[in-house]
Amino acid sequence: LSVEEALEAILEALRDPGFQEAVWRASLHAEERVPRILEAHPWLAEAAREVAEAKRLAVENLDSLIEEAVGAAEAAGWRVYVAETRDDAVDAVLRAVGRGGLIVFSKSMVAEELGLREALEEAGNEVWETDLGQLLVQLERGKPMHTTAPAIHLTVERAARLVREKLGLPLPPNPEPEDIVAAVRGFLREKFTRASAGVSGANAIAADTGSVVLVENEGNIRLVTGLPPVHVAVAGVEKILPTLTLALKAAIVQAAYAGLYPPTYVNVISGPSSTADIEHRRVKGAHGPREVHLVLVDNGRRRAAHDPALREQLRCVRCGRCQWECPVWRHTANLWGGPAYGGPMGVGWTAITHEPDAGGLALLCMGCRRCDEACPMEIPLSGIIRELKRRWAARHVL
Amino acid sequence: VPLDVREVLRLLAEETRRRGLPVPVPERVVYEWADGLGLPEEGPVLLFTGALYQIMPYVDRLVAHLERLESARGSGIAVRLARRLGLTGLAGAVAKPDPAAVEYSRRVLRSIVGHLSRAGVRVSYPPGVDWYSGVLLYDLGLDEVFAEHAARVAERIARVDPQLIVTVDPHTTMVLREAYPRYVPGFNYEVKPYLQVLAEAGYRPPGGPRGPWAIHDPCLYARGLGLVDEPRRLLEAAGVEAREPRRSRRMTYCCGGPLEGVSPRLSRAIAERRLEELREAAPRIVVMCPVCLANLRRASQGRVPVEDISVVLGGEA
Repeated sequence: LSVEEALEAILEALRDPGFQEAVWRASLHAEERVPRILEAHPWLAEAAREVAEAKRLAVENLDSLIEEAVGAAEAAGWRVYVAETRDDAVDAVLRAVGRGGLIVFSKSMVAEELGLREALEEAGNEVWETDLGQLLVQLERGKPMHTTAPAIHLTVERAARLVREKLGLPLPPNPEPEDIVAAVRGFLREKFTRASAGVSGANAIAADTGSVVLVENEGNIRLVTGLPPVHVAVAGVEKILPTLTLALKAAIVQAAYAGLYPPTYVNVISGPSSTADIEHRRVKGAHGPREVHLVLVDNGRRRAAHDPALREQLRCVRCGRCQWECPVWRHTANLWGGPAYGGPMGVGWTAITHEPDAGGLALLCMGCRRCDEACPMEIPLSGIIRELKRRWAARHVL
Repeated sequence: VPLDVREVLRLLAEETRRRGLPVPVPERVVYEWADGLGLPEEGPVLLFTGALYQIMPYVDRLVAHLERLESARGSGIAVRLARRLGLTGLAGAVAKPDPAAVEYSRRVLRSIVGHLSRAGVRVSYPPGVDWYSGVLLYDLGLDEVFAEHAARVAERIARVDPQLIVTVDPHTTMVLREAYPRYVPGFNYEVKPYLQVLAEAGYRPPGGPRGPWAIHDPCLYARGLGLVDEPRRLLEAAGVEAREPRRSRRMTYCCGGPLEGVSPRLSRAIAERRLEELREAAPRIVVMCPVCLANLRRASQGRVPVEDISVVLGGEA
């Protein structure tokens, strides 16, 4: 977690023209996309303000909101766990999915934060990421390099090499992205149908209905959460909003500011699959999972809700726009920011979830304030980072 | 190998505590630019340069020294130790700044005073008041040292108790406006950058109709102060064609300068990208911050003219 360790990796990335070019190009595209979306759909900026305000209040009332969400989710048929620590969260998921199974993951930053995939593998499970970018990250044993675009640092050549070498899938010479997508789709189909459990994150959770809201474009989340007999949703407690309307808005705002609007799929999951088609008697487990688990992860969040600087970070919807807009991030991707998260929002999240002393990483922020301008949740990211610098310097320098 | 960041910060804190300046340079460096100008020593409008233009040529040498250390090969304790020794040798590293850079800083400040005078703004420059603001300490989170330093600087300013402080760069402006009032009890002076003062005075600069220039907004003017129209109005009034680069105005892109002490290589990479997109807009670049000036010039290595706005407005570029 030291700034020197991060810098070592960054200096190496600076010598890697493929890495530099891939991240730069993606940033340019993302930078253009979001303003175009906002111009075409002006209501999104208004929705973002509404969600930001709701999140402000949610952070202030986090404990009661958690309680409300737990009650509603249990009533809807979820088995709910509030995990105080990383270990509690991993234990809860392990109890839900068991050992020796085949587990499919949809991309989740909280799973990354918890080291969940690795923990389930250690427990004897076969685990596959099903988001293409995240699968590539799994194959290279790296970390996601952007919140919504985890394999942003890989060129098509590097992605193809991973798929050939690690999955043994045949690809034509000089493959196009379409070839890789088709090969991986075939490979993962079989995993989806055989999976004993699916693990997802959540873009938002509604406290009034106990619903989990997820947005996506690939369609993998629908399969992860719909096909296996068991579904586990893992989410930070800050994802809870008072109502389903706000939760839906939060998810759509997240997609828009990630540059993906309209999202291809919006999923609302409110308990196990069931049918009452015979004699109007409710039977759990129709085509979707018969068993659904919701793991609400604290891991530093409730403490952060009382920290004058870090509480602001809890409004983050993880759209990753601050990353695209950050001049430093454009050269480092998530090599800067901590073990799971990265970029301007990553430094704050690392301080919440991994190491309160993350301020060393904060030193790589130039204080240029582009992230503050970009954030749809009006989070003063550069201010949080400066405060973390102050805390770090007081302890390690002065 | 990465720099030992703690050491860099400690050194900065020590230097500022010892001399009041972030780099080991003589005190006269702050004032000598004004020699012979006969600026009034009294008056309600205080010119406070914050010394950034003056010390940047020395910082530039220091950054070159740090970049060599960062580029050194090797690992382990021996290298770490060597780096520490290397850092303490920085007095030697900054001893010989580029004379052209020193002269340019002098020219910028004299040019600014010339513009203010022609705009009818009478600034005072009393001896022993202008000083380094401590902005780098603040930016790096060295708040304890910053607070001590700011208190000393505020004492100097309190001696003349100005009605208005006119600044010459975005960093000093922001720190005096945002941080000083929070760290120094009773510090509530009005602070304005000279570009705003000139624009408000309806100043028509003498600069000739030369161009085109790619305009590079400094982050803190654009996003901190919302100062984006004023420099454009002044350039237009001077008959200078300013072209907007891909990222400009409120979403301007950082020059990489603030990272130069932590990772000179990363700082340079950011500057090179910015330089590229500025060049796409026009073959010459106009900047309005001493940090942008130094960092973009370092990245450009003389390939692209990078000039300060004060010089461009004066038709001297």
